[in-house]
Amino acid sequence: MKVRHIIRREYLANVRRKSFIVSTILVPVLMLAFFVIPVLFAVLEPAKTYRVAVVDQTGEIGDGFAAALDDTLKDGARKYLVESTAAPGDRFEAERQARVADLNRGRLDIVIAIPSSIMQDGKARYITREERNLNVLERFESVLTEAVVRQRLGDAGIDYSHVAALTKGVKLDMQQLTNAGDVEEKSFLADYGVVFLFTMILYSALLSWGMTIAKSIIEEKGSRVIEVLLSAVSPRDLMLGKLVGVGLAGLTQLGVWALMGIAFAVYASMGLVAQLSSFHIAPSVFVYLIAFFVLGFMLFSALFMTVGAMCTTDQDAQQLQALITLPMIIPILCLMLLIQDPAGPLAVGLSMVPMFAPIIMLARIIILRPPAWQIALSMALIVGSTYLAISFAARIFRVGILMYGKRPSLRELVHWYRRAG
Amino acid sequence: MEHAIDIQGVVKRYGDFTAVDHLSFTVPPGSIFGLLGPNGAGKSSTIRMMMRIMLPDEGTVAVLGSDIDHVNLDRVGYLPEERGLYKKMKVVDVLAFFGEIKGLDRRDAQRRAHTWLDRMGLGDRALGPVEDLSKGMQQKVQFVATILHEPELLILDEPFAGLDPVNASVIKDIILEYHRSGHTVVFSTHMMDQVEKLCDQICLINRGRVVLSGTLAEVKREYGRNGVALRVVGDGSFLRNLPEVATLQDNGNELFLRLHDGADPGRVLDAARAKLEVTRFEVAEPSIHDIFIERVSEAG
Repeated sequence: MKVRHIIRREYLANVRRKSFIVSTILVPVLMLAFFVIPVLFAVLEPAKTYRVAVVDQTGEIGDGFAAALDDTLKDGARKYLVESTAAPGDRFEAERQARVADLNRGRLDIVIAIPSSIMQDGKARYITREERNLNVLERFESVLTEAVVRQRLGDAGIDYSHVAALTKGVKLDMQQLTNAGDVEEKSFLADYGVVFLFTMILYSALLSWGMTIAKSIIEEKGSRVIEVLLSAVSPRDLMLGKLVGVGLAGLTQLGVWALMGIAFAVYASMGLVAQLSSFHIAPSVFVYLIAFFVLGFMLFSALFMTVGAMCTTDQDAQQLQALITLPMIIPILCLMLLIQDPAGPLAVGLSMVPMFAPIIMLARIIILRPPAWQIALSMALIVGSTYLAISFAARIFRVGILMYGKRPSLRELVHWYRRAG
Repeated sequence: MEHAIDIQGVVKRYGDFTAVDHLSFTVPPGSIFGLLGPNGAGKSSTIRMMMRIMLPDEGTVAVLGSDIDHVNLDRVGYLPEERGLYKKMKVVDVLAFFGEIKGLDRRDAQRRAHTWLDRMGLGDRALGPVEDLSKGMQQKVQFVATILHEPELLILDEPFAGLDPVNASVIKDIILEYHRSGHTVVFSTHMMDQVEKLCDQICLINRGRVVLSGTLAEVKREYGRNGVALRVVGDGSFLRNLPEVATLQDNGNELFLRLHDGADPGRVLDAARAKLEVTRFEVAEPSIHDIFIERVSEAG
């Protein structure tokens, strides 16, 4: 079996490339950073105490506001040191300026100026030199809103706590039934994140490894190595060897990523990182990722191989490759629609089109576990069209690999196909 | 096995252009066979068809007694016209790989590769990448790749093209040695002095057709009965007009004349001496070079 020598050489040539090693390590690191850095920011937020002065023209809200800001730091100390001054009428402006002067001297971090008009127009000022923290601003906003509403209700003779109890909102937790009949907590945002992550990985893997095959054929044609190879092995063996060798290199990379991903998913699901618990990724998803890579790779690389066999230069190939790469984007463009309606006719239909199926089906599996027959049918359709694509590629390959020079016309292509038959 | 290679009625067309036109010849086992012809004669096309790299449009090609589709390629070594090696791979790895796909096991292939590289004076380059080698060195490596698995039949497309005289002579010695150990060598060339030195069989093709073929001795004998080589001082082209002279090749200082059957070479000498100083006169066999030029230019 000479194929195995071809496989071995292709595999080693690919996994020994620097770009392979770099991307195999770097991509998971970047992915990890994508998830972990925001978490780290939250965890590592500095234990800062804010000195806050409240200047209150109403004379009624400031104390309640100050009292409600009872947030504590990790060590139990108060996060906000609030000092409220009632400054009714004309004293408001003078008091405010005095506080702003303190701010300028660095004695304060934040000044909250509450004019009496706040009861009507709901507007107050947050004045600071450098505390532009959005979380702080939002926290103040909600506490102040509550204080104002409480005051307005009180003025109207209505008990705030009563109203609060009666108007308590409702939260919908999405639960989804799996095929096994279990109930899973789901979050739309987390679903979107996971789907996006996995489909992008699959898309870029299919694209880059497919193009690797086309490039390797063009290079061998260019350096005429192909003649030496063909004086030892049949074109079929050469093609198969390339397909399997390059495919295994791609699989190695995805395998490394999947292992890292599974380890990370397990780590996250153990709840060690609270912020990640909603990013629930079932281990089976990784298996499907690999499966659809293998299927998709065979299909697309047969197509890319045909392009490689037809072209002599990279420039030539780029134009023809667009015929393959453009349709590959379609599933990515449909992702948003798909996530909203993963069982709809569009989603089901697209997942049965072999060129779109790997990405669409993977996305659907992540979202809702489609019926087994749909998964099986979509896989079978990919396998069937792969068989056709490979037999077509083999014929074009047989004749095309030795044709140097200009790209063949469609007529010549048909001629090649017939002759190789 | 009657013939190492048997080509019968082979036709190869590229679009409207016929590169090989009903070509037939055979290569006896154990010979050194020269496939000659000017540029574009169809030599490389013919050789690629022997290697099943291209399929003939018509006719049959048999190699080592088997139909082209069933030849065991491991028994053949092929040096393509345009050399090709994997540039990024280590020299010894490339050779081991080519040996492996020709049926050697890896250890054996590596061992042989080192032996050959040493012999070629490239032993210290074995572990470096191919791209660091000069063009001539790469050609030698390519030649080693052809011969590494000790094939019964060597098919070499222009093995001397681009080599300096020293390296050409290294390759020539190996080819001769190989032939003496009972193997068959087929090579194409348009360098006639190599043919004269090496081949025992030749086939001259032009425009895809056989112009002449046979053993070197036969071909020369056929042409040699009435040749005259002259070295003169001055312009000897007027000799063309003598009634005895059939053709004249003017190589500058030397002239090669073919006389009509039964003509007297002495009369040519007399005519030359009447007008020129003659420094050499020889009733001679034509060189393959002369035959080549004559036959190819006859065809126009």
